[in-house]
Amino acid sequence: MKIICLVKYVPNVEDIKYDYEENVLIRDNVKLILNPDDAAAVAFALKAKELEPEHQIEVVTMGPKSVKPFVEDLLRRPVDRAAVISDSAFAGSDTYATSKILASYLKDKEYDCILTGSKSLDGDTSHIPSQLGEILNLNQMSDIMSIDQDSFSKEEAVFEVESGDKSLTYRIKLPAILSLRKESGYELPYIKYENMSLDVSDSLKFISNEDLKLDKESIGLKGSLTKVADTYNKNFDQKDKTVVKNDDQGIDYVYSFLKKKGFV
Amino acid sequence: MKKSLIYVDLENVKNSIEILEAVAQIHQGEDYESYAAVINNSAADADLNQFDYLINIQDQELKDYDQVAVTDVLEQLQNSYEFDSIIIPATHFGRMLAPRLAMRLHVGLVADVTKIKNDGENLELVRPAFSGRIMAGIVTNEKKPVMLTVRQNVFSYKKEAEQKAEVIDYQPQNYQSGQIELLDSQENEISYDIRESEILVSGGGGTLKDFDQIKLLADKLNAEVSASRKIIDNGKAARNIQVGQSGKTVSPDLYIALGISGAIEHVAGLKNIENIISVNVNKNAPICSLSDIVVEGDALEFVKKLSNKIDKNKDQKN
Repeated sequence: MKIICLVKYVPNVEDIKYDYEENVLIRDNVKLILNPDDAAAVAFALKAKELEPEHQIEVVTMGPKSVKPFVEDLLRRPVDRAAVISDSAFAGSDTYATSKILASYLKDKEYDCILTGSKSLDGDTSHIPSQLGEILNLNQMSDIMSIDQDSFSKEEAVFEVESGDKSLTYRIKLPAILSLRKESGYELPYIKYENMSLDVSDSLKFISNEDLKLDKESIGLKGSLTKVADTYNKNFDQKDKTVVKNDDQGIDYVYSFLKKKGFV
Repeated sequence: MKKSLIYVDLENVKNSIEILEAVAQIHQGEDYESYAAVINNSAADADLNQFDYLINIQDQELKDYDQVAVTDVLEQLQNSYEFDSIIIPATHFGRMLAPRLAMRLHVGLVADVTKIKNDGENLELVRPAFSGRIMAGIVTNEKKPVMLTVRQNVFSYKKEAEQKAEVIDYQPQNYQSGQIELLDSQENEISYDIRESEILVSGGGGTLKDFDQIKLLADKLNAEVSASRKIIDNGKAARNIQVGQSGKTVSPDLYIALGISGAIEHVAGLKNIENIISVNVNKNAPICSLSDIVVEGDALEFVKKLSNKIDKNKDQKN
């Protein structure tokens, strides 16, 4: 099978702290990481390849050229090929323009299945997988918690989805786009010791707009249909809190509060 | 007359009704009509009468989980009615349907809108970014329809009495099949919906060593149990009781935060909560500045003590 994994490198949002007193974001020392849901997608593909070594996995990502060492890491795990779609002309693209750029790379590729994450830590819109599905005329499903290994084939996939209050099991004809969640528990394998400094440069290519030849009007800020006009801090309403100890007096205070408000 | 279409996800009708408030804000100062699109609605929901029109899409072959087919049908509706806005609930299915439809119609889409700024000329849709750490105001290009998704409990709609939607029976034309089949559907273990709870007793990292114990206090208060991401990630509770940006947005009357530090991921899921009590070993934990009462100490110990206190006072009454 030919499997394409679409991934994104994102700032580790966990490192971004919020100062409630000043109502500002603290973005110092924020590292770039492989988006956790996307890591689950690659992890599933590698697991499938372990069982069926003839599976071919290509990782595709869009972003600055500086993601190179991260992508090389995946090639050593070992993913077969990787493409980094990178061009300053793509900067500022919203999800609409981004989907078009990714689709223009994917439209001529051969694949049986495209695996992605369900959402990214930074934008958190979950738009790309379904928008790509629309352009490539593929069905798509998000929030996948597991894919059945035994039935995973060129023809179909059977998988389980968490939809909030239900667990749903579907069968879908391939090719299709399957979007996993990190809670699926698929984890990237460690890089084998002997592969630690493997030269993977032959498996990695950079794709620019010279390759894709997209009209400048359809990409970047110009090609975007949505624009960030403003950003706001959250401005939480602070309350006049009363601090008590976890002792009889404190418990009495909490109890009278609950009584006064009619909760007990 | 402006026209607004709201997709009704039958798994969560309430979310779609609340969207009527978002519609009112988008078309503020204009005459507008609201249309609900419902697929194979067998049990008539009285709340759907809050819409002006109810487009009943009847076709047993049409699966409401097939985004390829549903997108075709909604595109047909858009071609017939030329809606000025289309709003889709940010449910599991809605979050897949909306981007596909927006791409089909070549319009921008804003996900998880929490606030609408409308000065009569410009429409700015505000949504969280970076896991809720910051809010971004988004403008879309002029092209109609305006498209957005909205999560449950973000807008509240005051129902009008005596409304009766005009029903339009709609037979979809040819549509593609997405070649997908639902094999099985299982309800998750937790039967209550924390978004509907009046009192929530919520546990975080400080209750990790015995999360189940917080149920003791919840029972005394006739409350329901919810949790922070830390508890869920550690496998101590089911994901559908998770509060926060990656979980649910809740609006109980009383929220008791036990051993929850209040990372912004969590606080993003608290909406219009009148009373917050937090228990934390660190009285300067972020959640404390949002609380009415801060109890400085161990959360599980607090559970025991307050539960005893409630018992004792009940005994005295009897």
